[in-house]
Amino acid sequence: MNAFGLAPLLLILPIIGVLFNGIVGRYFLDADRSTGEKWSGWFGTAMAVGTFIVSVLIFFSLGANDHHAEIVHLFNWFNIPSGNFTIPWAMQLDTLSSVMTLVVTGVGSLIHIYAIGYMHGDRDFHRFFTYLNLFLFFMLILVTGSSYLMLFVGWEGVGLCSFLLIGFWFDKPKGEGILNGDAARKAFVANRVGDFAMILGMILTFWAFGSMEYEVVFESALDLYTTTETVFIAGIEFTIPQVLTGITVLFLIGATGKSAQIPLFMWLPDAMAGPTPVSALIHAATMVTSGIYLIVRSNVLFEIVRDSGHQLFGIVSAPDLVAIAGAVTAVYAGLVAFTQFDIKKVLAYSTVSQLGFMIAAVGMGAYVAGMFHLVTHAFFKALLFMASGSVIHGMEHGHHHLHEHSHGDDHEEDDFDPQDMRFMGGLREKMPVTFWVYIIGSLALAGIFPFAGFWSKDEILAHSAYGLGVGEATPVFTFVRWMLTIGAFCTAFYMTRQIKMTFFGEGRHEAVKHVPESSPLMTRPLAFLAFLSLMGGALNIPYLTGGGGEEASTPVGMTASVLAAEEDKGLNLAFEHWLEHSIQAFTLEEDFENVVGPNGEHFFTHVPHTPTSLQYDIAISSTLIAVAAILIGWYVVFRVWPRSKEDPDPISQWPVVGFVWTFFQGLPLDTLYMTGIVKNIFNPLARFSDVVDWNFWHNFVHNNLIRDSFVALADFLATVLDPKGVDGIVNGVGQTARNLAEALRRPQTGNTGNYALSLFLGVALLVAFFVFAS
Amino acid sequence: MTNSIVLTLLMSLPLVGVVVILFLPVFNNQTDFNIKFVANATAIITLLFSIAILPLYDMGVPTLQLEDTGSWIDALGVTYHVGVDGLSILMILLTTFISAVAIGSSWNGIDKQVKQYYIFMLLLETGMLGVFLAQDLFLFYIFWEFTLVPMYFLIGIWGGKERVYASIKFFLYTMAGSLLMLIAILYVGIQAGTFNLPELIANRELYAGAQQWLFWGFAIAFAIKVPVFPFHSWLPDAHTQAPTAGSIVLAGVLLKMGTYGFMRFNLPMFPEASTNAAPIMATLAIIGIIYGAIVSFAQTDVKKLVAYSSISHLGFVMLGIFSLNEIGIQGAILQGVNHGLSTGALFFLVGVIYEQRHTREISEFGGLWRAMPVFAVTSLIVTLSSMGLPGLNGFVGEFSILLASTGSDALGDSPWIYTAFATSGVILAAIYLLKMYQGVFMGPLDNPKNQALRDMNRGELAIMLSFLLFIVWIGIAPSIWFASMDATVADLIQNVVMMAGG
Repeated sequence: MNAFGLAPLLLILPIIGVLFNGIVGRYFLDADRSTGEKWSGWFGTAMAVGTFIVSVLIFFSLGANDHHAEIVHLFNWFNIPSGNFTIPWAMQLDTLSSVMTLVVTGVGSLIHIYAIGYMHGDRDFHRFFTYLNLFLFFMLILVTGSSYLMLFVGWEGVGLCSFLLIGFWFDKPKGEGILNGDAARKAFVANRVGDFAMILGMILTFWAFGSMEYEVVFESALDLYTTTETVFIAGIEFTIPQVLTGITVLFLIGATGKSAQIPLFMWLPDAMAGPTPVSALIHAATMVTSGIYLIVRSNVLFEIVRDSGHQLFGIVSAPDLVAIAGAVTAVYAGLVAFTQFDIKKVLAYSTVSQLGFMIAAVGMGAYVAGMFHLVTHAFFKALLFMASGSVIHGMEHGHHHLHEHSHGDDHEEDDFDPQDMRFMGGLREKMPVTFWVYIIGSLALAGIFPFAGFWSKDEILAHSAYGLGVGEATPVFTFVRWMLTIGAFCTAFYMTRQIKMTFFGEGRHEAVKHVPESSPLMTRPLAFLAFLSLMGGALNIPYLTGGGGEEASTPVGMTASVLAAEEDKGLNLAFEHWLEHSIQAFTLEEDFENVVGPNGEHFFTHVPHTPTSLQYDIAISSTLIAVAAILIGWYVVFRVWPRSKEDPDPISQWPVVGFVWTFFQGLPLDTLYMTGIVKNIFNPLARFSDVVDWNFWHNFVHNNLIRDSFVALADFLATVLDPKGVDGIVNGVGQTARNLAEALRRPQTGNTGNYALSLFLGVALLVAFFVFAS
Repeated sequence: MTNSIVLTLLMSLPLVGVVVILFLPVFNNQTDFNIKFVANATAIITLLFSIAILPLYDMGVPTLQLEDTGSWIDALGVTYHVGVDGLSILMILLTTFISAVAIGSSWNGIDKQVKQYYIFMLLLETGMLGVFLAQDLFLFYIFWEFTLVPMYFLIGIWGGKERVYASIKFFLYTMAGSLLMLIAILYVGIQAGTFNLPELIANRELYAGAQQWLFWGFAIAFAIKVPVFPFHSWLPDAHTQAPTAGSIVLAGVLLKMGTYGFMRFNLPMFPEASTNAAPIMATLAIIGIIYGAIVSFAQTDVKKLVAYSSISHLGFVMLGIFSLNEIGIQGAILQGVNHGLSTGALFFLVGVIYEQRHTREISEFGGLWRAMPVFAVTSLIVTLSSMGLPGLNGFVGEFSILLASTGSDALGDSPWIYTAFATSGVILAAIYLLKMYQGVFMGPLDNPKNQALRDMNRGELAIMLSFLLFIVWIGIAPSIWFASMDATVADLIQNVVMMAGG
């Protein structure tokens, strides 16, 4: 008895929720506000919880099934028999998709509950839950699809939901609604740039391996690689590493769109225009991790490229490029994060930075570490966003309270922004629960022992140092290691700044005095996530024996069977043991140990392995760095936060650092895109094309060249060659031409019917001529 | 060969409606309602009839089915020959569906010369069915020209401010192309001694020597109709000036007559020339995709924006055709249907709003979601379908075409370059369509004229739901749609490749 047959419910339940809220939600709300909210909110939540229950059942079924993957075939989607092109709707249930479904539905359920409280009173309450359910639907397609094309359905679908939810408050006054719409559009278009690459990558995959289904593609790729065969695409011969370099780089571009990495990250901070539960669910915990999921899912393809040593344009290999993109993003976004004043934007840049950590991890082959960080990050970042939502909610209430009791003289209140940390301060006493969970989330994010983030971040750093074995680190690994260390410093630093600004000191706005703690509907999910942020590291605790670089050499290169033998040692590395059944790269070295290619080459001698024991040198140094960042932030830079909201950020007053701060506050890459590409290239191009089309093609070529010369010709025929008319038919044709000429000369005057009639007669004559000519 | 009368019957059904409408005033004074009722009933009966004959169509047979033949002008080798196969079966259904929708959508919008209007609409339906059913070049040409006349009047009488200019331009442009085709048709017919298409294809060596010229004779006529860049200049005028139903039919069916013509005539009759021309046609196709999209972005009039987007979308169809492989042609046919559905629906939606506001400027709108939520949601789904969101119909066609172009043997050494350029249309589609959607539906509802807008009524909703049914069906379960043409397309490609290769 297993639960795999229930898998379609993962898609059916959210769709029921969408239909319910989309069709009847409005009537419930209009009939009775509070009952309507209950129905909308709890119905949507029930569907989310339902998918979570199904995910848990599938999780246990997988365990009972020896972790073997199960593919549930639904029905055919594409099917062109003569072109050998078939793609089914099928769900791949394996340990990797199981992790993703648990995160998506688990965190998703909590956020649904939280949103009932957060969205209370919103006029479009039902619409919000419609979108949330729709998001779950597409996200679950994304992570359970058995082919790249199905992944792509979810991929674009969550992009759509993201668009809808960012633009949720599309009609806010004071131009804010328009800005929300712009942010939504920006997100969709930036994602489409990534999708462009995804489409090309999938097409290449199909022509290289004849399928887009994971199992077929991976098996075929391994086969062809180890037999050093080549493939023909449209008659041109390619080696497998060449093709896979193309495919993996295209997938990387796709991933940079969805997971907000350089060069396509700039949509995510703007996406904070959406309601906060959305920022927590979509723009922190789930959707933006799709890119990491894609790369982990494609691990075989990336490892083949790594093993072959094939380099893109002879410069850098595809997996290294992934690692570099992630590492650079981690630092860039980390630097921008401490220049922001909007409480959610700090977290948004932090998310970009943390996604950079994950991308860097999977780029180095640390698939488990990347997924581990994905899971813990989902816990603590969802927590931080929801807690920031609680703060914003409180600030709005405080401000509202102020208005109600100020008897209308709200003169200097117009610039109030509930998300601007410069208005906050001293919220610690007003919102104790929110404050404490915020602290827990921040410590987890900063990677302080023993919070969840410590374990996952440490695993990534350990991999960058020892993943290839002691003393074997390539320049790229070393680069990543130092970039991520800087990133980790930034993380602890900007969180210190944020907490000091928000919760400590004196309130910098009257509204702070009237801030209430949020309702239990909001704080209970927070408490639960705080617990997970504290304990999440237990998922994958490494072996605590061993230490330093020297002993790390033992587990490096440790294969799955060795690990399996150690499995009974307890809960250590439970997550790794769980995932190793879906990540084929894990066993590549072992599987191909004795396979020798035609030229005597051995395959998969370079598959990196994350050390299985805790690397104390890394753990201690990274913790020290984070602690140092907190201490420097707390006692030196932000020792005294300004008492007024007009005062500048203390850090901007420091020499050198202040310059860097100002530079990054200007969002250099955003500026480059928006003014460089959109304003200076695309918009003028569109205007220019329009002018060309209308003035050149439409007016000049058609009206002047073709029409006028035709009119001249017709006039010539009618007046010079045929002045009196030779016989009936010719006369008729000439008359038609003359009418035509008249019609063309004065298009806006005259009797339409006459011209039309003459044209019709002309055609009739032509037809009659041929018919009766026989 | 057994003759079947069903296709002739199908073509005649709208004419029956025409005759009834002609005699209507005799019976009743409330002529307007009766005319509308008869026209709608005729269109719906024709639609139902076209569905009812589907069981007679065998998807496994690649050749013509349900043929009806008769002698006509023996001296010239002209015959009456109609039939249907995988290339045309979906076009027939699209025609009857779009005609019914277009006639249904005219209920409130047409207030002058109602009788003539519906007569022209029904005549147009017969003409379009004839174009897709005719299997004799001469018969085809007559139907091809015949469709011009009702469309000319529809634009010229019931159109917008510049309707006369637009209608004449539409007429002359198409006529100019048709004359070239007529010359090619006469040459082929006289050389082969017959105008019957199956015989012409079987005896193509009789005119193969001139096929490089003949190909272009046909191709230019079809390219104008599609329209392929740079022959597109008539389209924005015709679309913006045509009444709503005219635009729906124009985008939904008339443009497909061009793409259909390439597949029905150019490929099987001139396979070598088609193969040679493939890189040129594909290049024009991707220019159309990108150019149409960029110009579309610059438009401020919703209808003009959608009109230019047609140039972009039809570029995909052309790329599919000239990929000259099974996936490409099937994708092209299906994308033709998809474009008919999504662009037809978009024009219908524009009509709904135009009826109330008498403007189509994006800047006049904003925040309509607040005033018309049902309208906004259906518009969103149609916009996404047009944008190629996976799970809706547009993606199925577009992706098949993009996939096919990379695997094409006809597009030279690096066919993926065509794919890469064409795929950029996917980004551009999001840019211009979201600009439109945001401009109309998002932002504050601050224009007082928009605050009193009514949402869609039941009739409009029924029409939209029928569009959405197909938009979703093709999007998630296109297998049966592909199956309807698979055998014919496989046969066609085999012939083209065999003849062009050997």
